[in-house]
Amino acid sequence: MRDTRRSRIILAILVLLSITLIVFDLRGGDSGPTRPLRVAGETVLGSAERAMAGVVLPVRGLLESLGGLNEADQRIAELEADNARLQAELDTVANDRARVADLEELLGLVSVNDYDAVPAQVIAVGPAQGFAWTVTIDAGSRDGVERDMSVISGAGLVGRTIDVGPTTSTVLLVVDATSSVGGRLAGTSQIGIVSGTGRQDALTMQLLDPLAAVDVGDVVVSFGSEGGRPYAPGIPIGTVAEMRGTEGQLTRSAILVPYADVSRLDIVGVVLRAPETAPRTTLAPAPSTTTEGAG
Amino acid sequence: MPLRRTLVSAILLVLAVLIELTVLAPLPFPGATPNLVLVVVVILASQFGAVTGAVSGFAGGVLLDIAPPAAGTIGITALMLTVVGYAVGRFAESDDRPWWSIAVLAALAAPLVVLGGAVLGGLLGDPRVRWDDVVVLMLSGAACALILGLLLIRPLRWLCRRVVPDAYPR
Repeated sequence: MRDTRRSRIILAILVLLSITLIVFDLRGGDSGPTRPLRVAGETVLGSAERAMAGVVLPVRGLLESLGGLNEADQRIAELEADNARLQAELDTVANDRARVADLEELLGLVSVNDYDAVPAQVIAVGPAQGFAWTVTIDAGSRDGVERDMSVISGAGLVGRTIDVGPTTSTVLLVVDATSSVGGRLAGTSQIGIVSGTGRQDALTMQLLDPLAAVDVGDVVVSFGSEGGRPYAPGIPIGTVAEMRGTEGQLTRSAILVPYADVSRLDIVGVVLRAPETAPRTTLAPAPSTTTEGAG
Repeated sequence: MPLRRTLVSAILLVLAVLIELTVLAPLPFPGATPNLVLVVVVILASQFGAVTGAVSGFAGGVLLDIAPPAAGTIGITALMLTVVGYAVGRFAESDDRPWWSIAVLAALAAPLVVLGGAVLGGLLGDPRVRWDDVVVLMLSGAACALILGLLLIRPLRWLCRRVVPDAYPR
């Protein structure tokens, strides 16, 4: 047996230290005594994660492409057929595009390109056993990212930045149980609060108007916070999958399916500035039922 | 703690944290993320004893608590891993154990760490804890820790003994 007395004293000291950290972190909040620890983590470990991802991501890409090698021949044949068909369609497209541009201007539509966004790669993910839905991206204050900015993907709203280091930031995803976003049913003035459930495939929306007419399949976009932070307006969040509670009940809620698949995030964009004109209709990738420009 | 022992433990822990967050956590497996840091703490404790076990458990836990994208309460993982490192260190001190027993210990510790984290989080009012997921996380966490342990024990033991000649088992 070794010197067990010494090891027991060290155990006691470390346990007390951990409990002290827990208490300080819970009491302190954003300006508390554990803040420097978080800043150090975001700065030092964030940079290390970035370096690590620089090694890991090419390897992951290689593995994925190796896995798909067998299917590649078949895929080439498919793509060649597609190519021929698209070539034929292309002639008609140029004409259509000019008309679409005119119409978009008329309707006040905003496309994803109108958001002033900085692209970023997801480099780290929080462990599942921590229950938090957070990811680290490789854009930080040097790229103009600040706390409380919306993060979007090609599909829709992903989350918002909660912690920013020099070269990395932490993003709280919309599906996290502590996340809530102001949402609006696209094309109407019905608003509600969209909260995460902790599950990747479901959000809940508390509707403020108990008499609101909501149908399954309706599109929900972000309502937009003051100054576009933390959430810029008009970003598609998800579609209504199910209604809970009957019409006229004090609170009604809808279950939404988010557009962004948070389990396969790769490239995202951090919205630095929302577009000048508020979007009038949905940006949803899926065709929505609304064409009149309300809101 | 002697310098070489501290150095090899620190390097292994930092690497474990980085690999767990950038490689293992993004993998699209259902269930728990393979708890590499826990497995490394268990192996270090089995090689260097209870003091190094407790200290590296605390250090690895704090690193996991503050490494982005951590959003939980700082200190919870540190508390869990400190106790795990100490307990494994004491177990390995007693007498000669078969090499695979350390992997079994890791597999026993992993679900306890998941459960402990959920209970502590729940008691401290964390709205994220989902009790209906805890059992799945515990079982998958145990399986991952067993596999990681069996894979890593021999190479890491070899490394520890190369760097620190007086490491266990003698």
